[in-house]
Amino acid sequence: MSTDFNIISEIHSDTLVMKTDGYINNTGGEKIAQEFSKHANNVKKVIIDLKKSKVVNSIGISYLLEIIENLNQNGGKLFFTNLDPTIEKTFTIMGIFQFAEKTDSIDSITS
Amino acid sequence: MKDNSLVEKLSLQAESFQEGFEVLINCNSLEEMIKNFHHLLRGNFLATNLSLMYKKSFDVGWESVNSEKKLANSDLALLDHAQKLTIKYPRKENSAAVVVLPLSDSSYLGIIIGSKLDKSEFNDYDKITLQILLQVFSSAYNSLLNQQEVKKLIFDLNEKVLQLNSLIDTGIEISKFDKRDILFELSLERAASITNSSSAIILITGVDTGKVEKEITFPNNMNPEKVLESPLKIESSFEFNKKLYRFVLCEKETRKGVTSFNELDELLLQSITRQVQASIENDYLVKQSLEKERIEKELSLAAAIQQRIIPEELPEIKGFELAGINIPSREVGGDYFDCIDLGNGKYALIMADVAGKGISAALLVSTLNAALYSYLEFDVPLTELVEKLNKLIYRSSPSDKYITFFIALLDSKSGEVEIVNAGHNPALFLKKDGKLEQIEAGGIGLGMLDLGMPYTGQSLRINSGDSLFLYTDGIPEAMNLNEEEYSDEKMIEFFLNKSESSTNEFIAAMVKDVQNFVGEAQQSDDITLLLLKKV
Repeated sequence: MSTDFNIISEIHSDTLVMKTDGYINNTGGEKIAQEFSKHANNVKKVIIDLKKSKVVNSIGISYLLEIIENLNQNGGKLFFTNLDPTIEKTFTIMGIFQFAEKTDSIDSITS
Repeated sequence: MKDNSLVEKLSLQAESFQEGFEVLINCNSLEEMIKNFHHLLRGNFLATNLSLMYKKSFDVGWESVNSEKKLANSDLALLDHAQKLTIKYPRKENSAAVVVLPLSDSSYLGIIIGSKLDKSEFNDYDKITLQILLQVFSSAYNSLLNQQEVKKLIFDLNEKVLQLNSLIDTGIEISKFDKRDILFELSLERAASITNSSSAIILITGVDTGKVEKEITFPNNMNPEKVLESPLKIESSFEFNKKLYRFVLCEKETRKGVTSFNELDELLLQSITRQVQASIENDYLVKQSLEKERIEKELSLAAAIQQRIIPEELPEIKGFELAGINIPSREVGGDYFDCIDLGNGKYALIMADVAGKGISAALLVSTLNAALYSYLEFDVPLTELVEKLNKLIYRSSPSDKYITFFIALLDSKSGEVEIVNAGHNPALFLKKDGKLEQIEAGGIGLGMLDLGMPYTGQSLRINSGDSLFLYTDGIPEAMNLNEEEYSDEKMIEFFLNKSESSTNEFIAAMVKDVQNFVGEAQQSDDITLLLLKKV
């Protein structure tokens, strides 16, 4: 069953910024991974802005882990910003912050 | 090549094989591993073309993973349909060696090695090297599978911890009072998230009407029909206060698509549903408790107001006996009686009953009491005084509130009594000779209407041995466990039978008789009596 999920992406030098909107589940995770694949060879850093995403499930997380692995193999890094406290706790439990980082703002990474 | 020379050459290569193995086991994906294996083969055999293929199982077709040229069907035909390790040396220009390598997870690696750069055939050394490299790949592949299995186990374990943690957090979150307005949204999000549901819905339906009163979906733009019609759904429900709360989860997600929910998902949904049920029940009980507390405070305040107004002692009237009592019911009522000394041997005897109970009734009695004291200071005719009271109470009270009111102005020196009865129970005037008169002259209860209708007064003379008995409906309407009323008849009969008693004795006896009649039944209304007797 499809659900509305949208991404707005921007490139700032070697950084891909993805602003998500909606449930990060199989559909959402797949869209994030596809968007990353388009730019994977040209970016070292990826920032995912979760301001408009308040719910995530473990299928969505599995896509995020793949992006993290891909970036880490190529010396890159994934950052998250505007994390809802529930999502932040979820990411902590799932071990995401062992390989990715939180950031207060997009500017602090892109500038 | 002699055997010794072969062994010597292979020994020299051992370190290279070891390095190749280390490169392969550090790969994080099959694609990366095949890419590196390609380099390894190319470095060892210096072949012109090298193609590597992979298939996930025996029955599916080969997928080219790392080929230097596009493979034709004739190339693929070189790969036998073998299920065991197969190595062939066809001696063709583009295929010096063809390998099908079964892997431990029932997948297969296909290798086509083109002719060597020096056009020489595969010798014994090359064949042994190929065998060793195949073993190296197979071992590294097992290592990759183990790594992936460990990752999956860690992921699954973390997911279970997450489910448990989310369940605990959800219970805490939805029990908070500031989350009451998002109780359903929050619980639905959490239930969908921890079970990997693609969508979910809560339906709140009236049990009696069957009508859907509220519908919450997750994500919030979902079509409810699609969720409810899905064959891949689970649900849990409960009933409370004639409402059915139905939680439905739809389609469990996997990376390969959607599937059926499992028993754990059902348990998780039931747990969250129970938490919501407990939260709703607790909320209801807390509200009930607060309401009870509010009512008790109101009753306490009403009782305090009433106690302040009702006289603790009645004045002594020369040549008369006077006794009265007020017994409030459990719910504070609006009965009021008084005897106000107006000076110069004149007294005002009051008996009133406010429709309703509680704080509003007590406040209305308070208003009446204050107004009465104020108006009695002026020497206005009694009927005019009652008309003024009617206007005041009409303006001061809501439409469903009024007061039945009886006032008697006694001139103790002459025995003259002026009476107005504003909708109250008739007073009983008993003459010494046994003749009983019911005093009803007056008009409507105070505050019922303000149409300027005049009140009618009545005068009488009270002589030695005569009695005037005032009461509220708490006496005739006192009810026993059989729901029988004490009645006006019984009260009048008792009054007549006790006409010789002193006023104090009569009041005590009357109360006792009513209480005996009521028995174990709870007192439903105030009981108020006032008896005046000329000695």
